[in-house]
Amino acid sequence: MKVGLVGNQNSGKTTLFNCLTGMNAKIGNWPGVTIEKKVGTIKGTKHEITDLPGIYSLSPYSAEEEVSRNFVFNENPDVIINIVDATCLERSLFLTTQLLESNCKVIVALNMADKLEEKGLSIDEKKMEEMLGAKVIKISALKEIGIEELIKEINKPLKSKQNKVIPQYLSKDYELEKYEEIVNQKYSFISKVVENCIKKKIKPEAISDKLDKILLNRWLAFPIFIIIMFLIYYLSVGIVGSFTVDLVGDSIGSFGEYIGKLMQNLGASEWVNSLVVDGIIAGVGAVLGFVPQLIILFTCISLLETTGYMSRISLLLDKIFRKIGLSGKSLIPFIVGSGCSVPGIMGTRIIENEDERKMTTILTPFIPCSAKLPIIALFAGYFFPNSSGIASSSLYFFAIVVIIISALIMKKFVFKHTSNTYISELPEYKLPSAKYILKDVFDKVMAFIKRAGTTILLCSIIVWFLLSFSFKMEYGVDIEESILAGIGTKISWAFKPILGENSWEATVSALQGLVAKEQVVSSMAVINGLAEDASQGSQIFASERSIWFLHSIISICFYGI
Amino acid sequence: MKTIGEICSLSELKIGQTAVVKSINITNKNVKRHLLDMGLTKGTKVSIKKIAPMGDPIDILLRGYELAIRKADLKQIEVEVIQ
Repeated sequence: MKVGLVGNQNSGKTTLFNCLTGMNAKIGNWPGVTIEKKVGTIKGTKHEITDLPGIYSLSPYSAEEEVSRNFVFNENPDVIINIVDATCLERSLFLTTQLLESNCKVIVALNMADKLEEKGLSIDEKKMEEMLGAKVIKISALKEIGIEELIKEINKPLKSKQNKVIPQYLSKDYELEKYEEIVNQKYSFISKVVENCIKKKIKPEAISDKLDKILLNRWLAFPIFIIIMFLIYYLSVGIVGSFTVDLVGDSIGSFGEYIGKLMQNLGASEWVNSLVVDGIIAGVGAVLGFVPQLIILFTCISLLETTGYMSRISLLLDKIFRKIGLSGKSLIPFIVGSGCSVPGIMGTRIIENEDERKMTTILTPFIPCSAKLPIIALFAGYFFPNSSGIASSSLYFFAIVVIIISALIMKKFVFKHTSNTYISELPEYKLPSAKYILKDVFDKVMAFIKRAGTTILLCSIIVWFLLSFSFKMEYGVDIEESILAGIGTKISWAFKPILGENSWEATVSALQGLVAKEQVVSSMAVINGLAEDASQGSQIFASERSIWFLHSIISICFYGI
Repeated sequence: MKTIGEICSLSELKIGQTAVVKSINITNKNVKRHLLDMGLTKGTKVSIKKIAPMGDPIDILLRGYELAIRKADLKQIEVEVIQ
């Protein structure tokens, strides 16, 4: 059986999807987290369930609407679960009235039912069933209440399938005046439903409003925002960074020594020993040393997303971003992009205006992502040994400057438009679910480690090979005669303008930065480890500071492309 | 401050004021359609909930939820002040 999950943005679809399937899809407390459909199987059944992007209507005007509309009308689903935010019934039921016209079995799942009490509301679902003509079930996806009843209802046998017809008013060229009339009619029906089914008690001032009085206060909002962002990057790049990277780096160093001795005792040849210790352990280890920092960074971003503060940031900065041809919504991809550019770019779909979306897509990779973090920390530690934390976090502000300048250039020469609209729901603040955040951070860190185990492992071996052998395939040559030095020297002229000098070491690592940014650190560690004396190794770092800035803005790694 | 019964644009209201939508004259068709879908229709009761620290966008309360919209769009929505 084919089941579709349809509902407004931020109504908890993905939470319900995870709950029904046992998967861990991405959740956030800002509108538009699900940008394409996800498919899974409902636990204990064979029903295929599709999580569709959040929409307010089945009209064909945005990419999200198109995806959901196609599913409902063309992919012939057996059951549609219409997830409805019970605390925001009126607006949610508009989509419900459209779904009911689709001739499909619709189950209305009243989500966040556990919050009704808190908001001083009570819903008569029997009455609602009667008025809508569809089964209504109260659930809480987060607390897993009512899920069994929902599955039971899905399992009920179906009447024969009917052909689905797209109502005429949902076609693209339908007159707007007539459309307005139909919407008016639907909403007056909905008002009646709400009037009959909801009892309101007097509700106290919501916590969200109290919080917003501070967080969106005219004088406090910006200082608070800057402090929060600075703390996030200072904590992950600075404090935790310098402490744990040393710790992990040392233990990986002694692990390398230990393995080296062990292999010597086992009688491994010199080059095998060097491959393992100088190539693999040094290269992969250098990158793995950054895992603790990433855990902090990913946790902070996850918190921003799930609490609802992200929507406030977007509201806060809309007026500034408008001046450079973007909207406040561009900020969400930027912040998510500081974890990894890829999900950041995917998130740009929440931006309605096409030019704004394209600009945001181009600009997101300028934000130093977590893979650049090792590079930033490495150089910061070298250039500013006493204040590397502050130096690293200020690099994010440097990135913002780069973004603003690039955006202005694009606005002037490429996308000659003015940012024309910003319509965004302001969700209430939510306490984040520890379970979800743990899982989210764990998944992202594992993905990083996996890359360390595959791409970076392979690259480390290649770099080691190119460094240890000369063009004549002799092992153990002086590093200056290695294949890599030869290649690097030959092409370093091309990098001279950006790197500031002819250094084959810097050239090679910059090239690798294109493949995967974290590889830069890895190959530097390998080069460094093989260099015969310390001065030769540190020569790599002796290039001008411009390299640092270069790496922070080298825009795209191949993963991004 | 606009007084009760006065007809004005939604952008002219102060925090805490409530009004009923009279007409939506937004020229951008997609924006208008989007707002209609989200429940901003004729006769809807709206109130000004929060204003972004820089004075724009404005967060309005309608049909039990909050929606942030730019002043430029609110200017094209005519309302009657009721509170």
